[in-house]
Amino acid sequence: MNFGFTEEQDMLRISARDFLAKECPKAKVREIAKDERGYDPQIWRSMAELGWMGLVFPEEYGGMGAGFMDLVILMEEMGRNILPGPFFSTIALCALPLLEHGSSEQKTKFLSQVAKGEAIWTFALAESSGKYEASEVKLHAVLKGTNYVLQGHKLFVTDAHVADYILAVGRTRESERPEDGIALFIVDARAPNVRMEAIPTIGGDRQFKVSFDKVVVPGDNILGKIGDGWNIVDFILQRAAVLKCAEMSGACQAVLDMTSSYARERIQFDRPIGSFQAIQHKLADMLIDVEAVQYLLYQAAWGISVGSPSPWQISAAKAKANEAYQRICIEAVAAHGAIGYTMDHDLGLYYRRVKAAQFAAGDTDLHREVIAVELGL
Amino acid sequence: MDFRLGEKELALKEEIRKFAKAELPPDLVRNTVIDGEFRDFEFEISMSRKLAQRGWLVMSWPEKYGGRSASLLEQTIYEMEIAYWGIPGAWMGISGIQWVGPCLMMFGTEEQRERYLPLIASGEKDGVWCTCYSEPNAGSDFANIRARAVRDGDDYIINGQKVWTSAAHRARWCWLAARTNPSAAKKHHGISIFIVDMKSPGITVNPILNYYGRHHFNEVFFDNVKVPASNLVGEENKGWYYLMQSLAFERRSIAPTTYGSLKRILEELAKYAGQTVYEGQLLSKNPMIRAKLANLAIDLEVLKMFAFQLAWRISQGQIPVYESSRNKIMGDDLMKQGAITGAEILGIYSQVDPDSVWAKLNGAIQGAYLGFPGQAIAAGTAEIEKSIIAQFRLGLPKSY
Repeated sequence: MNFGFTEEQDMLRISARDFLAKECPKAKVREIAKDERGYDPQIWRSMAELGWMGLVFPEEYGGMGAGFMDLVILMEEMGRNILPGPFFSTIALCALPLLEHGSSEQKTKFLSQVAKGEAIWTFALAESSGKYEASEVKLHAVLKGTNYVLQGHKLFVTDAHVADYILAVGRTRESERPEDGIALFIVDARAPNVRMEAIPTIGGDRQFKVSFDKVVVPGDNILGKIGDGWNIVDFILQRAAVLKCAEMSGACQAVLDMTSSYARERIQFDRPIGSFQAIQHKLADMLIDVEAVQYLLYQAAWGISVGSPSPWQISAAKAKANEAYQRICIEAVAAHGAIGYTMDHDLGLYYRRVKAAQFAAGDTDLHREVIAVELGL
Repeated sequence: MDFRLGEKELALKEEIRKFAKAELPPDLVRNTVIDGEFRDFEFEISMSRKLAQRGWLVMSWPEKYGGRSASLLEQTIYEMEIAYWGIPGAWMGISGIQWVGPCLMMFGTEEQRERYLPLIASGEKDGVWCTCYSEPNAGSDFANIRARAVRDGDDYIINGQKVWTSAAHRARWCWLAARTNPSAAKKHHGISIFIVDMKSPGITVNPILNYYGRHHFNEVFFDNVKVPASNLVGEENKGWYYLMQSLAFERRSIAPTTYGSLKRILEELAKYAGQTVYEGQLLSKNPMIRAKLANLAIDLEVLKMFAFQLAWRISQGQIPVYESSRNKIMGDDLMKQGAITGAEILGIYSQVDPDSVWAKLNGAIQGAYLGFPGQAIAAGTAEIEKSIIAQFRLGLPKSY
């Protein structure tokens, strides 16, 4: 058993932290929030030059050949610093399944673009109910010749407005088991009849309703086998849950650091408020939450990195992160007092992102239910 | 990172499973939280002896003191499994195995090690220890110890009163903290640690029953008790340091044992929920119960990782500063969560006396329910542990 990171992993963490602190300070985060695009193309290009987009791709697709744990480290740092933009949707939700399930033509074409920072991707799964269940997939995909024609809509699709491609989950046939008859379509996001309507969120991230009105998708642009789509969705949700957890883990650590340094400095009743047990115990609880998220994250990520992902470990990590991230932010605002409730303070940036993070790749109920099933209930 | 268990650890798990199947009644869910040590002393000691014969009782000690130099990871697995199967006799009053032995290896003389360690390792009654730290005025404010040890030629003379002393009524030896320098500038600086023979004249042990009438702890009076000076541990007046180390050892063991016993309780509750119909529906189909058991399972994963992380840190030669406190808080919180969730699932049966034939799951839930508030106080309250984390991990100013 080994709880340590390698030297290379420590270096990756430090260089990512330094880069983000320099290129994406909180002033920049606020500036991007006002920018309609929701990301900074210059930072995006620099990230590609650093090899971040293709971190886990093999070299033949312009990647660095690094492991899943390295990606986790990188995303912890993105979460710690709050990097706005389509990295999660491009890499976690789309590039990883392309790498695993794509044909060699698809990989050569799409992954090389992603590695160079030349393509943005997003994933479209949820529909009206917002639930990640196979029975909720209604987007119609009808075969016409060698093409499929998509009809329907998707909700809460992140960064769709800047995406070049949408990986859309559609239904090719009705079936008794809702998991059957599902396929993943690679849709040109700028194709005619793909319409987007913004869903404004409290986190300030960019989410959309995407409507498909007789959108034609060539038969080559299916990821994996027709009918096998739900297995790929499972694959996506598992990896994405862990990578979202990584972002949340970094954010939790940042909020704890901010709050403990405030408690050391803020003087009331002639002494630092951190000398009061009411504050100390709040912070100790926060620390336990932070470390709980970290170790469950590392356990789940390690399972994926050695090729044996554990649904139990993945769901435990995401369910824990969902609860802990929210609790940590709420306690942090309380420890800060009124200043933590202001627009000028960075805490709100973290708190406002809690909801988006909780629902990405599975909410707490979904992951608890995975555990309940594993318990034999 | 690598979270795989090695072949050694996996083999150990299997051996313990076989041992439990062979030595204990089938499907026995035991809860030692409320029973405390030595309710059935002869049976427990017979099991201690068997554990000793297998080389498990003090597995991480060196061979020359009766151990087999097992890694701390192996010991952690052992503690988890022992608790999972509810194997009695593994603790021998807990003090000797968990901190007297390890502290003597760090701070004792070779003569002390050779005399006392093999006794503990034997699993015999003469290897049972208790620890006399707390006093009526030294609870959380632990440095307030007033029991006095005065040097008198080749001896020390001990006078004073100790309280909440677990297993004192069964112990052959006592690990005692007493004040040797009452005029030290700081109260932490005048304390020393002694090894005391519980058969010494002048020692009186009175039972204190817990709120469920079980005899777990005691008050112990020392009236001019003579202790040879060779029984001083380490240096005079350095006792606070040894004592803090002993508490770190004690707090370390809480996470693996709590994990093991709750893992078993969780599995038994899941089974029970899958077999029990309430208002026309299996309990296991009730979404509230599913969510609560899932939450317990998730937090148990955290406790497991905390237990392994601490063992790993120590095995890297690092000195943990706050992890034992973190694990103690997490373990106590979880025992509470498990007890309350379990009681909710048992419903009206949660009130049945754990020894009664009416008790479900062998009374394990009631045992946890009655026991968790006490376990949460022993070895440091949550409030003390959280202050330790705040000061030593988060760098906040001292609060008391």
